[in-house]
Amino acid sequence: MSSKMIVLMSSDGQSFEVEEAVAIQSQTIAHMVEDDCVADGIPLANVESKILVKVIEYCKKYHVDEANPISEEDLNKWDEKFMDLEQSTIFELILAANYLNIKSLFDLTCQTVADMIKGKTPEEIRSTFNIENDFTPEEEEAVRKENQWAFE
Amino acid sequence: MPKCKNLLLTSKRRKSKSKRLKLHQHEPESLFPEKEVEEEDEDEGGFKLKIAAPSQEHGVQPLGNLYFNPGAVNVRNTGLGNLQILSDELVLDILGLLGANHLGVLATVTKSFYIFANHEPLWRNLVLEELKGDFLFNGSWRSTYVAAYHPKFKFAGDGESNLKIIDFYSDYLFQSWLCANLEMKPKWLRRDNITRVRGISVEDFITKFEEPNKPVLLEGCLDGWPAIEKWSRDYLTKVVGDVEFAVGPVEMKLEKYFRYSDGAREERPLYLFDPKFAEKVPVLDSEYDVPVYFREDLFGVLGNERPDYRWIIIGPAGSGSSFHIDPNSTSAWNAVITGSKKWVLFPPDVVPPGVHPSPDGAEVACPVSIIEWFMNFYDDTKDWEKKPIECICKAGEVMFVPNGWWHLVINLEESIAITQNYASRSNLLNVLEFLKKPNAKELVSGTTDRENLHDKFKKAIEEAYPGTIQELEKKAEEAKRAEEQRVSFWDSAKTDTFKFSF
Repeated sequence: MSSKMIVLMSSDGQSFEVEEAVAIQSQTIAHMVEDDCVADGIPLANVESKILVKVIEYCKKYHVDEANPISEEDLNKWDEKFMDLEQSTIFELILAANYLNIKSLFDLTCQTVADMIKGKTPEEIRSTFNIENDFTPEEEEAVRKENQWAFE
Repeated sequence: MPKCKNLLLTSKRRKSKSKRLKLHQHEPESLFPEKEVEEEDEDEGGFKLKIAAPSQEHGVQPLGNLYFNPGAVNVRNTGLGNLQILSDELVLDILGLLGANHLGVLATVTKSFYIFANHEPLWRNLVLEELKGDFLFNGSWRSTYVAAYHPKFKFAGDGESNLKIIDFYSDYLFQSWLCANLEMKPKWLRRDNITRVRGISVEDFITKFEEPNKPVLLEGCLDGWPAIEKWSRDYLTKVVGDVEFAVGPVEMKLEKYFRYSDGAREERPLYLFDPKFAEKVPVLDSEYDVPVYFREDLFGVLGNERPDYRWIIIGPAGSGSSFHIDPNSTSAWNAVITGSKKWVLFPPDVVPPGVHPSPDGAEVACPVSIIEWFMNFYDDTKDWEKKPIECICKAGEVMFVPNGWWHLVINLEESIAITQNYASRSNLLNVLEFLKKPNAKELVSGTTDRENLHDKFKKAIEEAYPGTIQELEKKAEEAKRAEEQRVSFWDSAKTDTFKFSF
């Protein structure tokens, strides 16, 4: 029994054949399938191939059924490994998950970034995201005072 | 992705250049200037900001200003580092996953994070999630939270975060601040084209308004209500005491709610909307009465199992409901006891501009705040053939909202009102039709037993009023056939072969 396939085209011109059932985890793609405009493939102008590959990998893993049974615990472990990526890739994944409207991937990627912030000092946060401090010494003192309660 | 579908996220605002707001900075190094905002196509002078717009606007400017400031750097981007490729909404989605301490630390990282981390909606969520309805509003959501968890912490100055930031440009954050601080413009309040009646008979009401499904404003039918004399803030606070009323996602004591509504400056203020007020405080039940026109209340046949049908509504200026159609295909009446409400109504077949219902009607995407709808879409209706019905409903007056009509309501001042939804013979068939829908489970509101409501209701009606449904169906059939004949008559009149003969 062959399952229905659709073609996704990345912004840099690469084509990926994916099972429809896997692809419609993206609400954006699901709506296009409903509206029956996928015959010639779906161009994804906002997603380049490097990212689309990861998105498809995620969707395949999360297409859980009898053929692909997996426990939540195992999925969580898999998520951790999956998100072991360069920062820029993570941000691109957020943008892609948002554009493609894949809620669980969006939640996962946002949570990953949130976890990069939690528990860090301001200096560590700056270093993590390549940020320069733009407060003057006076401003920094004022701002620190305002938020002193967060440091206790 | 946005948790609530709102049109702040569309690019419509940026595309409509005529609506681009220009903030004038008088000195390059000045802090946030006079609170004057001029709109280019405005014929009546600028927007008026609420008096004492809070000091915690830090100086966020709309993106348009950046383009008028060649060579300027957007501190928003430089301060976010690698995160700058994310949109404001996405940054806020991430910050929404952080706790209060994380946000407090983040605010000291850069000017950009200072502004993002102090974004009030983030703190509102934290307060409502953790303190529920038991919070003492302290001027802002952020200081409300901090004061609750760090009571010994001394705030400098007036307790608000005070640093003025220049060179931070963001449409999303600016719009958010603007909508929280705008007053309703006079031109949005001018149109008043609703029919007003006083002292008509019930039969007249039914034939002239209920059956043809037309809105109307009824004067003089609250004259006997003790509520009109008695219901003031103080009286209600006394009589309701410690009982909590539903306010958005939480329940609150009235005193705490009024403390909040006095100090709140936001796009969508929390609105007190309780469907069990009469059960919770029976004396309130005794101080109002259903106006005579609306006494046929067929859901009453379900007794205690009826869906929610009556609410007390209390809210500050700026609170209200954005465009929606009332659930279950019911009609409604809304009586203002104190205050005043601006209404905008569109008939069932006319979707208001800026509003996007999903095909099954289960979701409606529309601007976050009511002010934003007025700013961006109200003028679109000027040239429409099917203009909306508009009015201001004042204390002592009652609005009739026919079933299926789109409506938007905004309180122009603090208002106390009662509203009820009902099904009468005029809309019974519509209601049954609605309840029969396959996705009725999601759409039907105010009851725990969603799936069986249609069958239960139909059965109860047939028991209490045997033959009524069949009678109504027969009448509807006859009306439909008459309409079809009329149509075909005029259709054939258009062709050449038809000849009048007298």
